[in-house]
Amino acid sequence: MIGTLPALVLLAAAAAAPTPSADELARVSADNDLLAKQVALAKGKEFYLLLDPADRTLHLMLKGARLQRYRVDGLEVGVPRVLYRTRAESADWEGRIWEGGTLDPARPLDRVEVQAPPPTAEGTEIEVRVPQTPEEKYPVPPRYHIRFTGGLSIEVRPPGTESKKGFWGRWTAGLSAWWADASAAAGGSSADVVRLHVELSKEDAASLYRALPPATKLLVLPPG
Amino acid sequence: MQDPYALGEDGAPRERRRWVSVVVPKPSRGRGLALLVGLAALAATVWVAAAGTGYAYAPAPTRAKVAGIDVPSDAAGARRLQTKLQTQNKNLAAALKKMAPSGTYVVVDQTQNRLYIMRDDDIARTAVCSAGSGMILKDSGGSRKWVFDTPRGVFKVRNKISNPIWKKPDWAFVEEGKPVPKNPADRFESGTLGKYALYLEDGYMIHGTLYTRLLGRSVTHGCIRLGPDDLQAVWDAAPIGTPVFIF
Repeated sequence: MIGTLPALVLLAAAAAAPTPSADELARVSADNDLLAKQVALAKGKEFYLLLDPADRTLHLMLKGARLQRYRVDGLEVGVPRVLYRTRAESADWEGRIWEGGTLDPARPLDRVEVQAPPPTAEGTEIEVRVPQTPEEKYPVPPRYHIRFTGGLSIEVRPPGTESKKGFWGRWTAGLSAWWADASAAAGGSSADVVRLHVELSKEDAASLYRALPPATKLLVLPPG
Repeated sequence: MQDPYALGEDGAPRERRRWVSVVVPKPSRGRGLALLVGLAALAATVWVAAAGTGYAYAPAPTRAKVAGIDVPSDAAGARRLQTKLQTQNKNLAAALKKMAPSGTYVVVDQTQNRLYIMRDDDIARTAVCSAGSGMILKDSGGSRKWVFDTPRGVFKVRNKISNPIWKKPDWAFVEEGKPVPKNPADRFESGTLGKYALYLEDGYMIHGTLYTRLLGRSVTHGCIRLGPDDLQAVWDAAPIGTPVFIF
């Protein structure tokens, strides 16, 4: 009789617990879905970016480890439009794993090929060439994209990169950027279905451009 | 074709110069104005069309869209589902936390030649290093080729040696234009790797250098070179088994 009392109390407590709402259950389910995707990314061998707009951070990750942290000062979502008519919906870009991220323009890979001299007993004096610094080797463009398979791209415009160009330089660059956007939006081959304009500091934007590994994945965490 | 301005035998022009007069009607003031307005309208149309073509940006949404799920109609069923989802949530969060490295780990940014000693997700020390040059070396016969890249990925410190002696690989002799020795004892060289070497995998190491002036530039054959103070810090901080992430 005494032993059944706790069981009765538990049953009564369970019966008295409020019934969870459908919204509440949907939120936990969505959270689980997101966690499952992060686990899948951490299990993989590829590098991935984790964009957390609520935390204002962009992380470069591998195996669940944070390798680089970039502060995000602003985030805008861009969709293509022609004559004021939107050509694609921006839905479904959050909480989805995007693959095959590549830089556009690509970071130049400057490989020097050296033919060794024929072997001699004394050897040959090697000329020590001082290579360029990363800053000299990889100049950062005034605007770059990380394009993912499926049509999402991250757009970065490092602040201050155009200031040295002068009025006509900036005007030409602006016109060229507009033309690239307009032709892409109007159905060019490089059309992005969704663009995320991520505002980074000049240093972070340059660092991301110089360091991004090839075929990076991306997960954008939805706001909480 | 005959030149109309050439002189004839008698010195007189062969042909008289021909003049063509074109009468351009002087535009009236009203028509000029209409032309100007038309041009302005055309420019405005092009401008408006151009402004409406491209990418339209808006601030990112601050509320997540949550897709609905099938919820049992009875209260007991809804509670069971809640318990199941909450258990899943705990397990997934625990799995994610377990995958992330805890304690000390090393991160190498091989493009920008920086090494970070990380402690619990925070940068404990930043060091200027040198990573692989990306150079391709071919031997004089053209039959063998080496690519001096630093590999990307996650590695572990497999071994730590103080006052390491370098066992020079074939490429070190080929690069210097020397014959590859047949006697293994001729491959050993001391002092080149600095005070310490932390062995990763496939012959890659974190070690010291004689060429500290080249730190910060991509000059190595794939290993990570550090200056003496930073090498000491890594040696002290990273025991065998420490994860090393290279990107």
